Amino acid sequence: MKKLLAVFIIGLAALSSCQKLDILPPNILSDDQIFSSQAGIETYLAQVYRKLPIEDFTYRPAGRNAGEGGFNLHHEWEHFYHAGGACGEMVGPYGGMDIGNGFGYWPYDDIRAVNYLLETLPKYAKNYPAATVANLIGEAHFLRAYYYFALAKRYGGIPIIKNVQNYPQQSIKDLQVPRDKEEDVWNFIGDDLDSAWNTMPATNETGRADKYGAAALKSRAMLYAGSIAKYGSQNFVGGAARDQGFVGISADKAAGFYQKAIDAAKLLEGHYSLYRKVADKLTNYTDLFLDVQSPENILTRDYFSGESERMHSWDATMSPNSGMNYMTGDGLSRAYPTLELVERFGILDVTNADGTPKRYNQLADLWQGQNLEPRLLATVYFPGETLRGKLFDQRRGIYPTFNYKSADEVAKPGGDRKFASSGDHNTLYAGSNMTVIGNAGMFPSSGADNNTRTGFYVRKYINYKQTDLTKITLFSSTTHWIEFRYAEVLLNRAEADIETGQTDDALICLNDIRDRAGASPLTLANMVVDTVRNERCKELAFENHYWWDIKRWRIADVVLNNARFHGLMPYYVYDEGKYIFLKEPETFQRNYNFDKRFYYEPLPGGQLNSNPNLYPQNPNY
Amino acid sequence: MKLRISTIMLGVSMLMAGTSCIKKDNFPGPNASLTGSLFLDGSSSKTTVQTSTGNFNIRLEELSYSATPAPQDIPIKNDGTYENDKLFAGHYRVSIKGGAFWPVAPVETDIRQGSKLDFQMTPYLLLNNFKATLTDTVLALTADLSAPIDGGIPQIIEIDPYVNTTKFVGPGAAIYQFSESQKLPVPSASSPWDWSTLTPAQKSIGVTVTGLIRGRTFFVRLGVKFNNDDKSSNLSEVIQVDVPKQ
Repeated sequence: MKKLLAVFIIGLAALSSCQKLDILPPNILSDDQIFSSQAGIETYLAQVYRKLPIEDFTYRPAGRNAGEGGFNLHHEWEHFYHAGGACGEMVGPYGGMDIGNGFGYWPYDDIRAVNYLLETLPKYAKNYPAATVANLIGEAHFLRAYYYFALAKRYGGIPIIKNVQNYPQQSIKDLQVPRDKEEDVWNFIGDDLDSAWNTMPATNETGRADKYGAAALKSRAMLYAGSIAKYGSQNFVGGAARDQGFVGISADKAAGFYQKAIDAAKLLEGHYSLYRKVADKLTNYTDLFLDVQSPENILTRDYFSGESERMHSWDATMSPNSGMNYMTGDGLSRAYPTLELVERFGILDVTNADGTPKRYNQLADLWQGQNLEPRLLATVYFPGETLRGKLFDQRRGIYPTFNYKSADEVAKPGGDRKFASSGDHNTLYAGSNMTVIGNAGMFPSSGADNNTRTGFYVRKYINYKQTDLTKITLFSSTTHWIEFRYAEVLLNRAEADIETGQTDDALICLNDIRDRAGASPLTLANMVVDTVRNERCKELAFENHYWWDIKRWRIADVVLNNARFHGLMPYYVYDEGKYIFLKEPETFQRNYNFDKRFYYEPLPGGQLNSNPNLYPQNPNY
Repeated sequence: MKLRISTIMLGVSMLMAGTSCIKKDNFPGPNASLTGSLFLDGSSSKTTVQTSTGNFNIRLEELSYSATPAPQDIPIKNDGTYENDKLFAGHYRVSIKGGAFWPVAPVETDIRQGSKLDFQMTPYLLLNNFKATLTDTVLALTADLSAPIDGGIPQIIEIDPYVNTTKFVGPGAAIYQFSESQKLPVPSASSPWDWSTLTPAQKSIGVTVTGLIRGRTFFVRLGVKFNNDDKSSNLSEVIQVDVPKQ
């Protein structure tokens, strides 16, 4: 009996041993599952778009904790860690020039995902109409160009990987690809975008790029390349990487890149227009950032109500909560527009001819009496404005009396200035029922920064239409981010125009923008580089352009040469019952200094260790 | 309780299993060191260069570890010396990183315990005859510039006063109100000075610092900042200034 059992067991084992373990792993999706259906491909693309390095509300330019990069893949809420707050558009929680080294962005896994799509989709082409395949291939070229754009503007030349790399099929030596020259990378981006333009659809679903998105990116990327060629040849840091062309482009290439920017921008003409739905220019400019139906929007990143991961916190982190749910239901603000940004729109006239400060009956008289540009008022909240029925009543303090000249008073050591201040919103001025600093108002220099340090608050992208404070909390904002809008394309074109002497065309572009903004028209005599740069800084404020612009213009080391920024501080003069405004350093008096080496970020150390062929490192690191 | 042989065996085998993975780290610790001074080239009295802490660095690259090593920088101290006593012994390339000095060729050397390496440095400009004259709370700082090597000096962008309450004074270690905010762009930020075109009068520089606080002691020096790769400065010596109470 025992023998029989043993034979039976051996026989069973022998039979089952021939079974092949060819069951597909249940936790890995196969190519068939992904590429056989439109839904599968869209799911695949959704991940690529999610990781697309769009510098939106959630972008944090120096990253967060170790291993958490600057793009929103870790549920970022502190949107006041904004690039503009490290370079003078705003002042914010960055302690100074904290973003020069970046965060080691290195998205070759995402680029591989795009290359994989480019290689695999044609194998499944028979499942789809030819136009669908062509559209998707074009879209993949756009996505790849976008990733390379994000790399090139940080590092200059990096390895161009056009095909899927495989290990262990390829040796480590083959996978250690050396850097390409910076000029070649920008040309590769341009070529990819040409491929995208040729085969992408003219329209696409919201949140996905169409061919005009490709043209918009090309106008931006070629403008960057043109200015790096022109200005990077004048102001640069020497080193092996520059000698070998990994950073820097020869100056004689500038004109060609600028012309490509103009040509790409012109492709959008007649298809997009500036937002002009509302007659009142201030309301119009405010709403252009809130209206999903704007004819100006070329590519947006959408946010949705529901799960908190699909929402952002711009509203709850740019307006004063003041610890009392003042204008928001949660969160706090920490980044504030500078006087330097505000005065790009014109110098604020707050001082009499004799040097004494002008007197105002109420805060709002400041901006109501100045004939300020509607675009400025739609970009920045001034003292005396209202949001959700609450007054921006910020005061730096209260003077019992004031009989000085503005400049003399500001120059005094802090201890010699005789105004009352407070670190508490509830503190009443002695003998009165007036609070010292106001509900939106300003803490002493040694105090907190969750109220304005400059007298101003951000207005752009603030959803003023939402008045229910319980819906102005962390992860409750659903305003879409406009990655490409037509105004930027016009500015790209105008700048490249002026750099190549095509001033007639530049004038048309800039006056279109200024008319919509409520500004007076310019003339041909104004068509110089400084004009278009200033217009760009105004129009695109807080949209994460300024940092890259002052870098590619190679002026960051001059603009941020141990720079300190200023505010417009409101004070109440008690014995007169009037307000005055003093232009003085922002309350934290932080110092911002840009090392010339920051024109390029350092290649990440971990990548250099993995791939010694990436050497030489960028200059001066 | 009687110990069974099987229990003892189990205990012994667990002990062996636990200890079998322990490898002894017999690599040497970071017990090597490198010190040195940066002397003014040609100075017979072995004068160290005028600098301030962190103004420029010694760069070490451990070639015996890797052909492309991650660099380590040692800040040069305010007295013109440097020291790192927690280095791994090995073969290194030692170079000067930054600073307003004429380039010095990197040195390849073996670093062991007690290694010493000095450098002879030539600044772009020397700030001679540095004087600090106090009138009430106004401080006039003057110096005469001279160039050990005349041609090819980077453009000069600023004449900077540096005022601090300690002798550690210089770029990055100065009181903003008395230093950065009272600096002298030459003649403006957009048109820097070219040494070769300066007149003898322009080579005698002067900056006035106003509003010093009465009753305080300050340490002051002058700097000339260049538009070179790291925008570094040549510095004067440091002078102590006592501002009277009245």
